[in-house]
Amino acid sequence: MPKCLVCYKWTLDEKDIKIKPGDLSLDTSRAKGKISDFDRNAIEEATLIQEQHGGAVHALTYGTSAVKQSLKDVLSRGPETVYWIVDNSAETADACVTANVLAAAIRKLGPYDLIICGEGSSDLFNQQTAARLGALLGLPCVTYVEKLSVDGDTVKATRKLADCTEVATVKGPVVVSVLGTINKPRIPSLKQVLGAAKKPNKEIKIADLGLNAEALQSKAVHKSVKGFVAKRKNIVYKEPNAAANVGKLTSSLAAEGVR
Amino acid sequence: MNFQLTEEQQLIEQSAHDFAKEYLDPITGQLDHTVEFPMAVVKELANHDFLGLHLPIEVGGAGAGFVSYVAVIEGLSRSCAAVASIMNNQAMASYAIQHWGSEVQKKQYVQALVKGETIGAFAIYEHGPTPGIGPDALVATKSDGGYALKGTKAYVRNAGVAAVYVVFAVTDPADPKSLTAFVVDAGVKGLRVGEALTTMGLKGCPVADVIFDNVTVPDTAVLGAVKSGGDVAARVLALASVAEAAQTVGIGQAAVEHAAVYAKQRVQFGKPVATLQPVQTLLAEAATDCYLARLGLRSTAQLVEDGKPFETEAAMVKSFLARLGSKILIDTCQVEGGMGYSETMPLPRLFRDIAGTTLLDAPADFPDYAIAASIA
Repeated sequence: MPKCLVCYKWTLDEKDIKIKPGDLSLDTSRAKGKISDFDRNAIEEATLIQEQHGGAVHALTYGTSAVKQSLKDVLSRGPETVYWIVDNSAETADACVTANVLAAAIRKLGPYDLIICGEGSSDLFNQQTAARLGALLGLPCVTYVEKLSVDGDTVKATRKLADCTEVATVKGPVVVSVLGTINKPRIPSLKQVLGAAKKPNKEIKIADLGLNAEALQSKAVHKSVKGFVAKRKNIVYKEPNAAANVGKLTSSLAAEGVR
Repeated sequence: MNFQLTEEQQLIEQSAHDFAKEYLDPITGQLDHTVEFPMAVVKELANHDFLGLHLPIEVGGAGAGFVSYVAVIEGLSRSCAAVASIMNNQAMASYAIQHWGSEVQKKQYVQALVKGETIGAFAIYEHGPTPGIGPDALVATKSDGGYALKGTKAYVRNAGVAAVYVVFAVTDPADPKSLTAFVVDAGVKGLRVGEALTTMGLKGCPVADVIFDNVTVPDTAVLGAVKSGGDVAARVLALASVAEAAQTVGIGQAAVEHAAVYAKQRVQFGKPVATLQPVQTLLAEAATDCYLARLGLRSTAQLVEDGKPFETEAAMVKSFLARLGSKILIDTCQVEGGMGYSETMPLPRLFRDIAGTTLLDAPADFPDYAIAASIA
């Protein structure tokens, strides 16, 4: 009966983010929060494992004060307890800081047989948290997982690689990061939504994790983020026949360096 | 004062959106053509606790409250208003039985309705102007140990698929106030469903007459007290009218969102039509109508949830939407021009559906009568 921990990130819903026409900066003022997409798959996978094998599922998140909005949401999806760490450092945290904080919390809460993360977050998609967690905790890490099974203390994971799949068998405890194709996250029923309020959520103070200032200092700094807007050239070729139009098109593309 | 949904209500609203995306979006267009009752989707509604949303936990419901109920109805209607109609009519039957039913009736029907094992229908209308008046009015004649029901109920939604009907009949043909509610199994001898009515919109939610040819029911089939049917019907129809307003807002919102996306993509005069002022005006007015209607709707739902009088406010919302529902669709169709008029686009279906939610149950001038009566 594995004891699972799911790490998740509360991100802005990208569909609510607008690009300001002038400076292409992002307007997030009306963006709602959501559990990062692949993290939903991670939560679902942990819950499926629990339904099949028993055990326990806990959830862990680190973020700004906005993460408090995620607690009932995550609990409605299966985990029986959620631990949350709120700190302003999360505002600018890179994958290194995030992994430092999560690993410190896991040392405090654990041990866990299986730690599941999403392959990447919906906002930054750095794909580093799971690998860094494995390194920091001294655990094996299996990434790009699209199929996962548990047999006693052994985890069998099918990894989707660029041109093949690879099956990895690992003795736990282990960290895995899952892809969006691994499962279809459930839509919580209303009773699960309303029942979430009765499940425990526990705050972990970052000061209690024994991390020094350097561990909370991001190495990567985002100076600015700009939206991408495709600009149409609205070129119309008016040659007398299709072949000539195609010729014009290929010439134009070649002039722009398209080979 | 807080106009925002609570955290739980927001999560429930999100569940409805996710449900609609997963289960309704794939079938909506098809349902509009096949007109087949979407039983598999109704089962999923039950699996996600939507069918018992408004009912107490003790009877298998979710106990989520009426604000959540209208948020869910709106969310489902953005994708498929016909399914929202099915759910609302199921809720009308289950609510009536849960509130006025005997313990035996509750035990027999409510859980089955909540679990989607039984489909319910609410049979109040007749071909005459009001129940009990007209040549084919449903009359319940007292007999030994029960009643004999004879007559026809009209425009019954969920008819044909329903296994249980909440039916209203006068016990005295000379007295419309003798209206009494009954719970009647679909399989009883003498009950038959007429030919399905081909409707303009909300296709997939079946509508038909239900004919009672000397149907014998026991005394225990009476719902609440004899001659209290008027109160039962008034309460349930008032609640249903709020839910129908939520349907209208959901359909309108879907139209606005579709038109806004189209306007950004459609290029005319060298730029997207969304940048043209006449188009902006159409979209802005339609979005404003939806926003204001939603405020009134949720405020009314809060009154229901707080156990306060809500009938006047419900009539106001209904009246507001009766005027503006069709206008929202005309304006958004205008934004999409010739393509919007095409059946390949969703707006024609939304147009027909919104007509159903604004015209059914009460003609457009009826709410105004109720509002005027309450203030003058």
